[in-house]
Formats: sequence, structure tokens, C-alpha cells
Amino acid sequence: MRIVVAYKWTCDPEEATVRADGTVDWSRAKPGISTYDPVAIELARRLAEAAGAELIGVTAGPKGVGAPIASKAALGRGLDRVVIIEDDSLREAGRSELAAVLAEAIRHIGGVDLVITGDSSVDVAAKMVPTVLAGELGWPAVAEVSAVTGQAGALRVERSIPGGVQVLEISGPAVLAASADAAVPRVPGMKELLAAGKKPVEQLELAALEVPPQNAVMAVRGMSRPERKARKGQLIDTADPAAAGTELITALREAGAL
Amino acid sequence: MSINAWIVVGDQPTVGNLITVARSLGGPVGAVVAGPRSVAETVAASGLDKVVWCSAPDDVPAEASAPAVADTIASDPPRVVLAGRNPGERVLLGAAAARLRAAVLTGARSVSIDGGDVIVVNAVFGDLAEETVAVSGPVALLLDGGPVPSASDGGAPIEEVSGAPLGLKVVETRTSGFDEVDLNAAHRVIGIGRGLKAREDLAMIEDLAHAINAEIACSRPVAEGLNWMGKDRYIGSSGARISPQLYLAIGISGQLQHMVGVTGAETIVAINSDPNAAVFTQTDYGLVGDLYQLVPAITAALK
Amino acid sequence: MDFELTDEQELIREAVKEFAETEITPIAAELDRDHRFPIELIPKLAGLNLMGMPYPEKVGGAGADYVSYVIAIEEISRACASTGIIVSAHTSLATWPVYKFGTEAQKDRYLADMASGRRLGAFALTEPAAGTDAGAGTATAVLSGDEYILNGTKMFITNAPYAEVYVVFAKTDPAQGTRGISAFIVEKDTPGFSVGEAEHKLGIRGSSTPPIYLADCHIPRDALLGGDGNGFKVAMQTLDGGRIGVSAQALGIAQAALDAAVAYAKERVQFGKPIATLQAIQWMIADMATQVAAARLLVYRAASCVDKGRPYSTEGAMAKLFASETATRVADRAIQIHGGYGYTESYPVERNYRDAKITELYEGTSEAQRMVISRSYLR
Repeated sequence: MRIVVAYKWTCDPEEATVRADGTVDWSRAKPGISTYDPVAIELARRLAEAAGAELIGVTAGPKGVGAPIASKAALGRGLDRVVIIEDDSLREAGRSELAAVLAEAIRHIGGVDLVITGDSSVDVAAKMVPTVLAGELGWPAVAEVSAVTGQAGALRVERSIPGGVQVLEISGPAVLAASADAAVPRVPGMKELLAAGKKPVEQLELAALEVPPQNAVMAVRGMSRPERKARKGQLIDTADPAAAGTELITALREAGAL
Repeated sequence: MSINAWIVVGDQPTVGNLITVARSLGGPVGAVVAGPRSVAETVAASGLDKVVWCSAPDDVPAEASAPAVADTIASDPPRVVLAGRNPGERVLLGAAAARLRAAVLTGARSVSIDGGDVIVVNAVFGDLAEETVAVSGPVALLLDGGPVPSASDGGAPIEEVSGAPLGLKVVETRTSGFDEVDLNAAHRVIGIGRGLKAREDLAMIEDLAHAINAEIACSRPVAEGLNWMGKDRYIGSSGARISPQLYLAIGISGQLQHMVGVTGAETIVAINSDPNAAVFTQTDYGLVGDLYQLVPAITAALK
Repeated sequence: MDFELTDEQELIREAVKEFAETEITPIAAELDRDHRFPIELIPKLAGLNLMGMPYPEKVGGAGADYVSYVIAIEEISRACASTGIIVSAHTSLATWPVYKFGTEAQKDRYLADMASGRRLGAFALTEPAAGTDAGAGTATAVLSGDEYILNGTKMFITNAPYAEVYVVFAKTDPAQGTRGISAFIVEKDTPGFSVGEAEHKLGIRGSSTPPIYLADCHIPRDALLGGDGNGFKVAMQTLDGGRIGVSAQALGIAQAALDAAVAYAKERVQFGKPIATLQAIQWMIADMATQVAAARLLVYRAASCVDKGRPYSTEGAMAKLFASETATRVADRAIQIHGGYGYTESYPVERNYRDAKITELYEGTSEAQRMVISRSYLR
């Protein structure tokens, strides 16, 4: 079986700050593998351990996503090889543009039976790249996936629905978005990390992929800082829990919140 | 008639907000439904200009109708496609966006038309900032679906299409045994986080919830098997976003990914043993201490 | 001179931090409070190849460089100093002499199990009357036919009784002073080998450091490690590396205390503003951060000397001396910044303070380090 895990190398907005003029300052942020991508890799590894599979990481983005440390970080988590499209024209790419690029990369790899992605990227959190990707490939997509077993062409997928879990059978290649809590990713071992630098890395030229152009152009006209509700920030003394409880309830009642 | 805005609907007819937004842009509004026929009927009853229902066998999930949805929309290409924040709808919207080669935006605070462009004020990076984006060409928007639309006069009949569905079918459904909840309808919500050590401790939270008539929710852990409640109770950037009157964050550290789900709350109270927890910078009332003592104390103070 | 870490070293830090945050931090306070050895962590650490990092893969280690090893000890210790020394003592004090001085038969028998973490190791040099003056030890090893018979008491043995393999130092020739000391590999279940009562310490309470008693302990003749009369050399060379591990532990403790102080200073409001706006606090943080940065450079430099095959005895002593004194100083200032709250168990800095002190004392006191350093300059 050939499994592609689409991953992202990017910064966590927790480390960014927004300036008064609404622009975002990323200077203190250090890039890493997007938070939920290791969950996708974990699901892929479990399937590969059960059924035998080649695990191929694919990523597309601006300069930096192809840095050796980025590839090693992905490979060190258990991928066999990675395919990278690193092009600065992708810096402002929208979800659909990225999905189209990933689709071409997957076609280039060929013979892919399954694509697994994380729930969403830590920075954009759109949850749309996997679904647009599936649309580009003409494959079924399922989100909120908590487990995947089976073989190529006969996958068995568990996904969350309100009130429970649904089990689906998929008869062909598919795109699955793993739910954020589908699995606790195993921590990479020291040997795995040291071996990562020796695994194959393939760089694809964006122009050579001939990705069909998008029909929509997005232009950012302005940035602003969202209005945030001012919070009182009042701390209630908790030395005596009973008194703290009373004080809180009184304060909430007086404020009309209770 | 040339549809200006298509609404993509899955298993639930909770698309009231989508209809409102679509209508505000002017022009004919259509809906393409890939769920049960009853959903198509509810949507049609709200009075839209076109309603298409993609029928499929019973054991086939809505996602299997993605090509039929994309075909329907592509045959009458709109300016805007809208869908609600549910997994099924995201898949259908993705198929439509791919077919239209449309821009995709998922944080729209407002949508309007200005000349030839669709103008979207879009929240970015977990609500850190907002950008005003002008889109030339088709745009696909993921929005809060809103309530079930109420019936009104007029409206188009349902057109049924049955495209070949993709090869996926439901083989088993397991109920979690958890009650379903609509957090958006709750006036008061208690959120629990990692500070709560054991499932048995939920009883203490339930006592408090009962005393103030609150729903219980949780911050989304990147952890498996903390299966204490249904996933519809997760609040955060990858879960529900709510604006209750009162939100109590208990044992929650206050990370961006969770707090973005509750920034609209009227009043926020937090209890956490870590005085440096980020949550305390975003609360109206903060209590630094042991929740195992404070929660019962608060419940007692209500009696 | 390149002050950047390699990609692998960065990734190793991230991975160990991830492990520490999920598996170690949640139990660190409990280990300290209950004086509990984290037995459940050992197989998890071993599973990530963290119990024999610097040893070649072919003998069961991770094949990592020494800088990576030191980073791992630092990150583990940042979460829990007790766990840090458990790993460091096992890797640098117990496994290293087997790796460096073991016969082929000894390496076959012990090395793979130790480097992979399947069997935990310990180093038994210190005695009630022999600390810095290691040559004053009175434990004896008498050759009798095909066996040595060991007698004596060893103190403060890190990882006993959980360790299965002990590197024990005893005098085969008491008349020779330090030249009469020999090293031996002793397995736990050997008759005549027993472990005493747990030692209750100020800090690193999750680290188990009881005495061990040798009472007519018969071990095979081929348990001799490194040759007859070579024990002092084995011990000193082992400690040269071990002290780099301890310097990394001290660095981790210092970093934890610094992080806690920075977070507290930003949150604590007095006189209407966070105390981080007060120059007194700002200067404390500046001094603490500079000292930690300097300690880091010394620690990594010493590790780098190991990697480059350069002598590292003096460099390791400098790293240990400076990092340990930095840890106690920074932990003390961290409590000061926390004020009264820093004195309570609600905050981690009191544990950092108690843990830090040992780094000035074991694997060579600061005075012993000064002896090593001055000797290299004044010889």
C-alpha cells in the first residue's frame, strides 16, 4: 500500500503577536511540524504496521518548508521518504491553491492508495485543504477520522459523528483527515531521529507540475486587530475556599451574570 | 436563472445563517442537499430560488455525493458557495471549491459585494487578527450554519438528481452513549480541561452545572481516550465556538486554540491551580487554587 | 566556531522535551513528595533509546553524539532532576566503564543490555569515610581461587536497588592506597550483596540512593574490570564524563527555575503593575539568564570536546563547577522573585532549589572540581 501523509511546516500563532495596526509579528516564532500532523502520521504508521505500506510525506509551501530540519522532523516521525514543493510564490497561497499543488504532487508520485492529513493546520486551521484536495483528485474524503484499518482498495474507517462513531468502508483511494485526538503520536526515538537525515528527499519544481490556475484571486486590502471584549481580570482570594465561593457568586449576581 | 449563491447542505438543515448571508449578497440563492430528503424539504420550505436534492442509497453517507454536488454547482456556477462547519459539509464544499477553482475562506466575520469583488472580513490565525480580503472570482465560505430556517411562502420545488456516488458506505454505527448537546443554545457553559484528573470527578462538575443550569463542555485535548463526553462538547478552533452569558473554565490552561471558542462569552470565570496559566489574562473573575476545593465551595455557595 | 546546534541536536531536544512534558512533568512533583523512584519511566526512556545515547547502535545505544546526550539530560532534568540523574548515572557512570574497560566477554555479557536500558546500572565508589578522598576507601576484594570476595559498605549509590549491574570499587591491595583499588562488575542477586535503607535527602528525592553492603560477597574472578590495581584510574576517568552529565542536570534545573521566574514576574501584579516592570526584578532576570547562558556554553563545550576526541577532564570540571553553582544561585533568585509563594509547594521553584544543591556535591564536590581545574593550570 502507498500512503501519503500531507504535512505542514509552519509557526504556531501562540508565538505570534498582533501589532496595533493589525499586522502579525512572527519574529519570535520558530517553525515546526504543524501540531496535529503527527496524529496523521501516527494513524498512517499504525496502518502500515498492520498492513504493510510505504509512507510518503508531501508538503508544499514557501521557502523554508524544504529546509533539511523540516524534512528530518517529518522523516524522524516514521515516514520513509518525503516529496517537497518549495516555492515562495506559495507564501500567500489560499487553501484551494495549496490543495491543487498537493494534488499534482500526488499524481506525480503515482499509485497512491490513501492520503491522510491532520485535522487542520495550527496556523490557518481552515480544515479545508484535505477536502479540496479530495475534490481535485476526484476521491472520497472523510473528516474526523479516529481510526483506519484494512488494505488498499478496501479501507475501513472510523469517524466521529454526533453521538458516536460511524464505520465506513471505502473501495478505492481516499483522503482522510484525522481528528485532532485520534491518537497520541508516539515520541520519535533517538535512533529514528538520527536516521532521518539519510532518508530520501525529493524536491519538485512548482512550474514543472503545471498546476491549473485558480479562477479566483484574493487581494488583502487591510489588516486589523479584532475587537476584544475587555475583561475585568479580577482575582478572588482563595485562601478560604468557602469564602471564595461566596465571593464569586455574589460578584456574578451583582454583575448580572447569574 | 443564474444562481448567485449556492448553499451546500449535508445531513442537518441547520443553515439559517447561511441563507441570511446568501440573501444579503443579492441575487438568486440555491441549495444543494446531499442528505435525507427530509432535510431537502425543510430547506426548500424556507423559500429558496432553487433546491436540488442528490439522492443516494440509505447506507451511503453524504460525502459520497460530493461529485453530484460539484456537478450541480458547476452546471450553474455561482459567485459564492456557502456551507456550515460540519465534517460532511466541509467535504461537499471542498468538492465544489475544487470544481470551481474557487478561493476558500473559513473565518468570515462579514461578507459583502463591492463592485466586481466579494469583500470578506476574515479572522486569521485563531482570531489573532482580521484581514479584509477582496476576491475576484468565485469564493467558497465556511460559516456557522445557524438555526434551522423557518418555513416561508413560495420557494422552488425540489429537483432530484442521482449521480453515481463515490465508493463509500456505512457498515456500522456505534453510539457513544453520550447525550447530544447544542452548546450554542446554552446560556451557561462550564468547560473542563486537563486539571480534572479522573472521570469520576465529573460528578462534582455536574453538581455545579445542575446548580446553575449549565451545559458541560471541554477544551480539546490532543489526547486519545479522554472519552468523558461526546465530541460535540469540544470547544475551540477545531470544535464549537460559543457565546454564552457565562463561561466557567475549570482546570483549563487557556491556550489560544481553546479560548478562541469562547471569546464571545459575556462573562468568563476561570479556576486553575497554576497562577501563570494563560487563562487568567482572559477572565473577568479568576480563582487561583485547587478546583477540588473551590468547585464544591461554589456549588455550596449557590444553595 | 559554530554556536548553532545541528538539525539532529535540535530535533532531539524537541523530542525529549515532548517526552518530558507528557511523561515526566505530570509526575515530577509526586516523585519528589513521595520520595518515589520512577520505575515506570525506565522502559519508556529505553524505548526511545535514551538510556545509552552516546553508545554505538551496534552495542545497543543510539549512536548519538555527546552534545545530543547532554541536551537530553538537560531536558529531562528540566522536567525532573531526579529522572535526569537516574539516566545520567546509568549512562555515564555505570555503562561507560563497561564500554571503555570491559573485556570482550564482559561487553558481550552486559553492554547491550545496559546501553539499551534493559538492565539499569549503578556506580559504587563512595564509602562512609571516603568521599572526595576516594583513596581512603576500606572496601576490600580478596582473590581466593577463582573468585574475589568483597567486603565493605558503599554510600549514596544512585539507582540502587533498582539497578541490576553495579560497578563496585574495592581494594585488592590495601597497602597501595589509590593504586590498590580495583573495579568489579557485581550483579544484584549475588549472595552477600544487599542494599540498605533509603536515604532521605533534601532534594532529588525521586532518585534512590541507599547504601549497599558487601558481606563476603563472592564474585567470579572475571568480574574484575579494567585490570588489577587500575580501579582508581577507572573511577576518575568515569567521573570525568559523569560530571558532564551532572553539569547538564544542573543546567536543566537552572533553566526550569529561570523559566518559572520569568513567567511569575510577568503575571504577579503589585503596586498596580506586573513585577516584571520593576528594575530590581529585571536585573535579577538579566543576571540569571546570562549565567544560564554561560553555563550552557561550558556544558556544551565540554560535551563537544568528548565528540572531538579532545581531552575533556578540565572542561568537564569547569562545566560542572559553574553549572552547579549557577543552578543553586538561579534557583535561589527564582524563589526570591516569587516572594512568599516561592516558599510553598504550590510553585515548582522550591523543588528546583532543593534539587540544585546536590549538583555542587556529588560526582566530585565543587572543591574537587577546583582541584582538577587548578591542577591543569598550575602543574
